Amino acid sequence: MKDKKNGDDSLQPTDGPLTGVEPKQETPESPKAGPEGATPSAPIAIEKPKAGGAAEQRVDADGCPSSSGDHKPRTDEAHPSVAAKSVSAKKPQSFFAEQTPLAIKVAPRILRYRSRRDFLLFGAGALAVLTAGGCLLPQDTLSRIGVPRKIDSPGKEWFLNRALRIDDDVAEALYSGTRILPTYTKSQITPLKNNYNGATPDPGYISGWKLTLDGLASGLSISLDIRNLLSRFSVHEQITRLVCVEGWSAIAWWAGVRFDDLLRAYPPMSQAKWARVESSVNLDASGNPDPYFMSLDLATARHPQTLLATHFNGQPLTVDHGAPLRLLVPMKLGLKNVKAITRITYVAEEPRDYWAERGYSRYDGI
Amino acid sequence: MNALVLPHPEPKSTSTLPTQPGVLVVRKHHFLVRWSHWLNVPLLLGLILSGISIYWASPIYQHKPDPNTGNTDVAADIGIWICTHVPGLHHYNSPPDWIYNHVSLGPGMLAPALRLHWLCAYLFVLNGMVYVAGLVRGGGWRSLLPRRTDLLDALRMFRYYVGFPFAKVARRQWPHPVFNTKYNALQRAAYFSVPVAGFLSAATGWAIHKPMQLHWLAALFGGYNAARVWHFWLMWIYIQFVVPHVILVFADGWDTLRSMILGWSTRVERSEVVAHEG
Repeated sequence: MKDKKNGDDSLQPTDGPLTGVEPKQETPESPKAGPEGATPSAPIAIEKPKAGGAAEQRVDADGCPSSSGDHKPRTDEAHPSVAAKSVSAKKPQSFFAEQTPLAIKVAPRILRYRSRRDFLLFGAGALAVLTAGGCLLPQDTLSRIGVPRKIDSPGKEWFLNRALRIDDDVAEALYSGTRILPTYTKSQITPLKNNYNGATPDPGYISGWKLTLDGLASGLSISLDIRNLLSRFSVHEQITRLVCVEGWSAIAWWAGVRFDDLLRAYPPMSQAKWARVESSVNLDASGNPDPYFMSLDLATARHPQTLLATHFNGQPLTVDHGAPLRLLVPMKLGLKNVKAITRITYVAEEPRDYWAERGYSRYDGI
Repeated sequence: MNALVLPHPEPKSTSTLPTQPGVLVVRKHHFLVRWSHWLNVPLLLGLILSGISIYWASPIYQHKPDPNTGNTDVAADIGIWICTHVPGLHHYNSPPDWIYNHVSLGPGMLAPALRLHWLCAYLFVLNGMVYVAGLVRGGGWRSLLPRRTDLLDALRMFRYYVGFPFAKVARRQWPHPVFNTKYNALQRAAYFSVPVAGFLSAATGWAIHKPMQLHWLAALFGGYNAARVWHFWLMWIYIQFVVPHVILVFADGWDTLRSMILGWSTRVERSEVVAHEG
């Protein structure tokens, strides 16, 4: 708003001759000078003394060329008021006021040279980004848009997985073993669908169900049935949100024993950092056995809200929700909340993970 | 290779200007602003394409299952509508997937879409920081700040755009409103809102991505589900911005487009001549 003035119109005329003279002139010092001159205070400091006088001068300065080209009548009736305002605004510029741009005179030869160089750089960069970006698209998408060749280099997989791992590391850094996740009231409960990836198992497995623990400090393999669990450990209730990787979520009322209590009662071997949580009753879409296995870091397993759930909405778990025992890790995506757990194995190295092998992330902290 | 640009503090007399050889140019965009501006093109494209594939997995806008098709997804309804009403698409083999087949990576591609979305999202946030750094270093942020006069000026610009086609048809003069600022009020509003939208997209993205560890952030947007709705509609801000942005840049001329590539403009009207070079 600073120096608004009628002389503005004259801009077009001034501009005309200039561009006319040198239609394809190119880069000035600008790219370089930009950054350097960027010490913002410097130009401003120089500007200040000038700002007042220069702006005023410009009015008549610009007035000259505009009068020379009698191009059109003044169009801005509304301007007197603005012009008046500009006079008052001609005081030292405020920090927030737009700076008067500085015009630089550049030899046409230099401008051409710089422009050519910068255009080439821009074109090369654009081409590189387009190629790289296009290659990163999934193969299915590429073949659908008619890319004939298969672009499936190991480098592409490595790069995309690297991005996933960085995201997992961020999730791990955000995790806190003492942060209690939001809990809800019973009135906030929402329906929870059965999202078994394949077929829902036949409930026949429940009668003979046992939980096996491996990788214990004792070196033994322990088998527990649901009665052992419920009689040994105290039952905790919580109403938490289960968030699916697909985007939906549900607030549900769970009850079960704390994973942490199980870890204290049957300590894992000392070097163990991970649990492999497994369900051998899981089926694929056509109903064939498809064991489900999932990696869980022990830091998450020790969180007080990590449950081995036995009850849903006050009732024992149904087959739909992983009877008789499912993992409940609300600080992980739903796909880590293994239904119908049959085995937990403590290991030192990160174990395989069903969904990580299918292109999803591994840590899945939310 | 050139002497540094030295500001000449002495007031110049315009009469000498035309006699000096050279082209008057004015710096327009800091190079960080230019780079990050262009990088937004592939990044936003990647984010939107993968984002709609992610949306496919669990659409926000659903209805009760359709008695005929069993379909619940509004985006699939739109695909079906397009395939029935647009000539030449009657035989499209999967109308419910039309939208996803044309404006996303495709249906059933949640894992690759998430992977690409995280990659683009981290780069988008980094790129946004570079953009802001360029605005600060080049001083360009001052041109984007909303002003008190903006509402009225925006109305003048709006009136100009609305009247422009009629004036063309009637062969009447229809002068562009005059502003002695880098941008007019409508431009300023747009260029100011897009970085704000970028910030909100990142914030709602984190709220959806980490709704437990960052549950306060999700709560800020009204909870996890509401944050998903925010995130979805923020995407439309970019789309609504980009379409007129591209049209108007071409309408405005080569100088404007070139200045975003090279960083200078020959529109020196508002400037003071302070430096000589060459």
